Amino acid sequence: MARFLQYFFNGLSNGAIYSLLALSLVIVYRGSGHLNFAQGEMAMVSAFFAWWYGRSMPIWLAVIAAAVTAFVLGALIERFIIRPIGLRSPFAVVVAAIGLFLGLNALAPFAWRVTNPQPFKSLFPNDAGDFVRIGGATWRYERIGILVVMLVLAALLFLLFQRTKLGLSMRAVASNPESAPLVGIKTGQVLMVSWGLAAFVGAVGGAMVASVNTNVDAAMMFTIFFSAAAAATLGGFDSLGGAVLSGLALGAIENMAAGYFPDLIGQELRFSSSLLIIMIVLLVRPSGLFGSQRVERV
Amino acid sequence: MTALLEVAGLQAGYGPVEVLHGLDFTVGDGEIVVILGANGAGKTTTIRAVSGTIHRRGSIVYDGQDIGRLAADAIVVAGVAQVPQGRGTFVDLSVEDNLRVGAITRKDGAVDEDVDRWFEVFPRLGERRGQKAGSLSGGEQQMLAIARAVMSKPRLLLCDEPSLGLAPLIVEELFRMLQRLNAEQGMSILLVEQNANLAMDIANRVYVLETGRIAATGDAATMRDDDSIRKAYLGY
Repeated sequence: MARFLQYFFNGLSNGAIYSLLALSLVIVYRGSGHLNFAQGEMAMVSAFFAWWYGRSMPIWLAVIAAAVTAFVLGALIERFIIRPIGLRSPFAVVVAAIGLFLGLNALAPFAWRVTNPQPFKSLFPNDAGDFVRIGGATWRYERIGILVVMLVLAALLFLLFQRTKLGLSMRAVASNPESAPLVGIKTGQVLMVSWGLAAFVGAVGGAMVASVNTNVDAAMMFTIFFSAAAAATLGGFDSLGGAVLSGLALGAIENMAAGYFPDLIGQELRFSSSLLIIMIVLLVRPSGLFGSQRVERV
Repeated sequence: MTALLEVAGLQAGYGPVEVLHGLDFTVGDGEIVVILGANGAGKTTTIRAVSGTIHRRGSIVYDGQDIGRLAADAIVVAGVAQVPQGRGTFVDLSVEDNLRVGAITRKDGAVDEDVDRWFEVFPRLGERRGQKAGSLSGGEQQMLAIARAVMSKPRLLLCDEPSLGLAPLIVEELFRMLQRLNAEQGMSILLVEQNANLAMDIANRVYVLETGRIAATGDAATMRDDDSIRKAYLGY
């Protein structure tokens, strides 16, 4: 039981990071219908910003400043890269996003003139004794903290989407981009905000990864992005709640698979195990676990 | 009657294809004007040109303001709302959210009351307020589309073939609704229709559109009773 709980707790905080990035992917997808392949790398660059700001200010302030920076950059990327290209061809956007992925990956170490991973301070109390003990398993404050941050952010996003005019505009654009201007919605602004918001959430995810790794590194989001994309797919790609639950579930399952079958799966195949689960789920439910099946009578 | 909408030399189309070759028409303040025409005459293009959803040239003056270069969202703010063809409801949003999104440009606090009022006018929408709009029947979606457009408190309502694909009884109900909006709220309405019979009943004036040009115009009553016009343009 202690072993189970241990794998579960650790898996949940890995999963919380997947959830954060999956939320980013879902926000962009709902807004403009694109899968942003560069979402992970945008989070990585944001983590570099947090590291950079952190040299001259408290680390939490640096993370918030980095997330705000990410919001602005995300909005600009939508306006000046994604939108002009998307007007020509939706497929070109996929290529542009992959280009962005490679470009950002090369840019970060270059921009800050660093090659090795750079040390990053932990965002949570992280001394030897900073944990709670539940059922014989230890749950470190840092891992609890990551989970709480994700849940709070997800709740705020839910309120934004369901309770505000901006959220209503974003849902309207997602549902019917042709009709949105006919009720007076400035679709372009809504898309910029969507991409900005996604980058903001991703930046928080990037900071959490940096905190766990205790460093920032250009390759830090690589495997995480694939698990997050898998979580978004599993959750149905247009459901915030689906992204949260699927992220957590994948984190927990991966960790248990790796923990219980160290020889068969281990660290090498842990990501493959989640992809296998997704394939099976999508065979049975093509719109994911929580995705909306489009209901439309004519 | 002063003109609320004055259109002159309107040209519009899709890419290199020009559909409207210079239309002139007006909608007076408080008037219901119907543009009749067969398939492909340019009815939908006319509505889209006025609402700013396609490229257009010529002069479109609404309430003294040239809206010919404004974007669609700014035209809504100016006071012109469109009920698009095929309804254009937000199918993933609930019925109530569809009404609220119609009022998204409003700054006053009376949105809740207006939502409730629509649920009284169309009880069938009220019963389904929490359901996704996509689950409504065609007639209910058309009601919702009109209600949503009116939620923005327009002075001019553009309706693109509201009768399309609906049962005659439902169409009658919708047209009575338009008539009521016109009579009670003084809302001006520009309606394009194929269903000449019903549309002429509620209209003050009629334009007949033929392959992108105005072929005839006149009072609805006169046009209805003029056999030669009826036979030539309306086909009944």
